[in-house]
Amino acid sequence: MKKLLITLIIAAGLLAHAAPKEEPTAMPKVGDLAPDFKMAYFDGHDLKEVSLSQYHGQKQVILAFYIFAFTGG
Amino acid sequence: MKNFQQNLKKLEATDTQVLGVSMDSAFANKAFADSIGITFPLLSDWGGETTRKYGLYVDKYKAARRVNFLIGKDGRILEEQIDNAAIDPTKIVDACERPKLKG
Repeated sequence: MKKLLITLIIAAGLLAHAAPKEEPTAMPKVGDLAPDFKMAYFDGHDLKEVSLSQYHGQKQVILAFYIFAFTGG
Repeated sequence: MKNFQQNLKKLEATDTQVLGVSMDSAFANKAFADSIGITFPLLSDWGGETTRKYGLYVDKYKAARRVNFLIGKDGRILEEQIDNAAIDPTKIVDACERPKLKG
């Protein structure tokens, strides 16, 4: 019994070790639900928080990811 | 970003909110927006949580890939433009203007 338990513990340890640490999320495809988010921007006076869900049923959203500010595009 | 600004009136007329996203601070983004005349929000994904959630984080650059998403009123992705294709957003601007988009 004790032997079995030890085997199980070792097996669990090996499995945990073999599992990839952080699998990168795949980019969502056309037709997928866009992941919700909450991010802030500075309007010149205050930080304003924006979430995707606030536009649900109201507006479509263009979400434009860019690499760094001051790189054009 | 400038391309969206040029089309902003058109896009607003079709019930479309434009949001830029980068991993810069909100203040750097505001300075960037002011310097090139952008009036829509540039959101700060400080720490990269959203960038990772969308599968766009590039470890080598410690930044996001250049991608435009058009998201419908139902929250589903209608169009995507990836990397170099994302520099000219005509495809997405045209898609916004398509009449009777599912909403």
